Amino acid sequence: MQLKKRFFAVAVACAVTAVPALAASKTLIYCSEGSPAGFDPARYTAGTDFDASAETVFNRLVEFERGSTQVRPGLAEKWETSTDNLTWTFFLRKGVKFHTTEYFKPTRTFNADDVVFTFQRFINKDLPFNKAAPTEFPYASDMEMDTNIASIEKKDDSTVVFKLKKVDAAFVQNLAMSFASIHSAEYADKLLKEGKANQLNTQPIGTGPFIFKSYQKDASIRYDGNKEYWKKGDVLLDKLIFAITTDASVRTQKLQKGECHLMPFPRPADIAGMKADPKLAVMSQAGFNLGYLAYNVKHKPMDQLEVRQALDLAINKKAIIDAVYQGAGQAATNPMPPTQWSYNKTLKDAGFNPEKAKELLKKAGHANGFEITLWAMPVQRPYNPNAKLMAELIQADWAKIGVKAKITTYEWGEYLKRAKAGEPDSVLVGWTGDNGDPDNWLGVNLGCSAVGGGNNYAQWCNKEFDDLIVKARTLTNQQERTRLYEKAQVVFKREVPWTTIAHSTTNVPMRKEVQGFKVSPFGLYSFYGVSIK
Amino acid sequence: MTTPVQSANTAVAPEMAAASYSYPSPLAEFWASFRANRGASAALVFMAFMVIAALFAPWLAPHDPIEQHRDILLLSPAWTAQGQWSFLLGTDELGRDILSRLMHGARVSMTIGLVSVVLSLLPGIVLGLVSAFYPKAVGTAIMRAMDIMMALPSLLLAVAIVAVLGPGLTNTMIAIAVVSLPSYVRLTRASAMSELGRDYVIAARLAGAGKLRLMFNTVLPNCMAPVIVQATLGFSSAILDAAALGFLGLGAQPPLPEWGTMLASARDYIESAWWVVTMPGITILFNVVALNLMGDGLRDALDPKLKKLA
Repeated sequence: MQLKKRFFAVAVACAVTAVPALAASKTLIYCSEGSPAGFDPARYTAGTDFDASAETVFNRLVEFERGSTQVRPGLAEKWETSTDNLTWTFFLRKGVKFHTTEYFKPTRTFNADDVVFTFQRFINKDLPFNKAAPTEFPYASDMEMDTNIASIEKKDDSTVVFKLKKVDAAFVQNLAMSFASIHSAEYADKLLKEGKANQLNTQPIGTGPFIFKSYQKDASIRYDGNKEYWKKGDVLLDKLIFAITTDASVRTQKLQKGECHLMPFPRPADIAGMKADPKLAVMSQAGFNLGYLAYNVKHKPMDQLEVRQALDLAINKKAIIDAVYQGAGQAATNPMPPTQWSYNKTLKDAGFNPEKAKELLKKAGHANGFEITLWAMPVQRPYNPNAKLMAELIQADWAKIGVKAKITTYEWGEYLKRAKAGEPDSVLVGWTGDNGDPDNWLGVNLGCSAVGGGNNYAQWCNKEFDDLIVKARTLTNQQERTRLYEKAQVVFKREVPWTTIAHSTTNVPMRKEVQGFKVSPFGLYSFYGVSIK
Repeated sequence: MTTPVQSANTAVAPEMAAASYSYPSPLAEFWASFRANRGASAALVFMAFMVIAALFAPWLAPHDPIEQHRDILLLSPAWTAQGQWSFLLGTDELGRDILSRLMHGARVSMTIGLVSVVLSLLPGIVLGLVSAFYPKAVGTAIMRAMDIMMALPSLLLAVAIVAVLGPGLTNTMIAIAVVSLPSYVRLTRASAMSELGRDYVIAARLAGAGKLRLMFNTVLPNCMAPVIVQATLGFSSAILDAAALGFLGLGAQPPLPEWGTMLASARDYIESAWWVVTMPGITILFNVVALNLMGDGLRDALDPKLKKLA
């Protein structure tokens, strides 16, 4: 009897240690699309990096409501602004705990020092930590965080004051973006003392819903649910695993076989099959993105309005949406998606009219057509699932009005660099919104300051347009801003620096067991509030 | 290589013909032994078929290879339920007729094969002969250079060359020619070296033949058999290399139909439309197998030792 009891105890112990993954039924496996470059969100710009750190380990002062572009309180409970909109005061949440891990045991809760440290990194190049771990903060500089913040001060343990140099209407939205994730100043000090400052990028400590456990490049990232998370009811999983699977077909097969619960970026061609699978659900949402073709207005003959109009009229968008997006897209009219506030609903697309295009070309003095380069992206992006295919369609369309297009492509980094420098005649690119502010569309992609090296691939600097958006940026009244942005879109549509092609639908296939997932308009994948049945 | 067949130009043949023995003509003898090889004959028939398809593609192909039938994207082949007989092998992701693209693609692939073989064959032979006739400084230099080229993985070298010259069909052919150069040089040099010590070469030399005459009139014709075989095999590997470069986006540029490029753009549809990837894949496979079988047949027919065994 004695022996039997002991045997039983051993057997139970074995079972418990051997199958923790099965015993803990609340494990979600996410087949992610690539390895993150690191876990310090401030250093990166890609969704892959943000999903693995900002959306799991970290919180921000303010955060985007899950599945929407609305901002809600995060680590700051509330905030107020001065009458001139240059001073912003944030009142911080009390009692928020940083993660306790094998490599760090926090002695205090979250306070103003952490916020000051996080933003000092962007604006103060001489910060000892920055010297120990030199890096760039690309997103912070794109959002002008580094130049526009005059100072950031700790008023008391739970109050922080930002002073800005000029009014930025989207300031609070920007703080909700992944790059502004709040680090622990205590952890940073510890690393600095130990001379391991770069460990901030490999072993992250945050306040977020999931605690980082381990990372194997090209294989997996493991997280534990944060049992002490400040927001009750947001952590419904015991474990979260990212199974890194770069090939879209393999991801699809893994999902069908039940090796993972959820996957990003399915191939458009595979969606119909997944919708028919009784074990899977496909969640769709109109994408907060835009795929477009920019005409380089500094190159001849695209400097002529008639030529741009003709090229625009000659493109059959419906055929592109059928073939490239396989129906998972809607034709775009404006340089922003319809879900963005200030979208001008009165504007109409020029449509598909090759006859009129030919006439316009004749009028512009190019009756026999001309040759231009058409750049096609080498990668699949949410806004353009197959740029090469799209380029071939456009090439065939243009051939009908006598324009010979030569399709060119480069490796992705090189492609962006050369395109920003203004090398192509026409270039296929796109944009996914970052913060839900119209300036993030019109200013970043079409403003004069983005010409030559910035995101203004059309190299298009129109005074009338630029005046409108620069003025709108300094206002805080949403109605006034809307009026200005609507006017700016009219100018855009009249001058045709781009052919706006499509807003793609974001499809997220998942197992039926997954509950409560919401598709992020920004293309991020977050698992707080998600559970497994 | 010193069969009477090969040295027919040494004026022995007329005397033979005058005698009562009737020897088959060299060509007939070659043809007979080639025909005896069933695989090679079948391959020859297939290749003849492909050459006709390529040469007359503009008239034989049912559709324009770059015309996009946008209302029938990804139409399955004719024998399947949804198929249409006017699109025998179905259509691709842009509604282009796959059969027509394959036929026009054959022209591209054959041109690549032919041009790149010629481009590497001619300099290869010259360099090989030179290094055999001047084995000291010049020969060593040439052979070491070839060794260096062979030390690099051929596809990698081709990619590097195309990257420098820029993507496109002409540069693809140049790249393939450069990559396959060493094998011709080595082959020519090896057989020329073994011929150089033979009596007939010494005789020609004693009769006062100059270096050039020795090289191209005396030695070269007797080295041709292995080189011809290598050229046939090189033809098939050129098609494969071009397909590989096309697959990497470095070869033929759209909308030109090329087999490798077709294969690459079809990858996205492996799960949903099998024919888009299968058709060009099978075409490349059959062509390469046929060319290799032909190469084997040629070798057997041209090599006197193997011929006796057959």
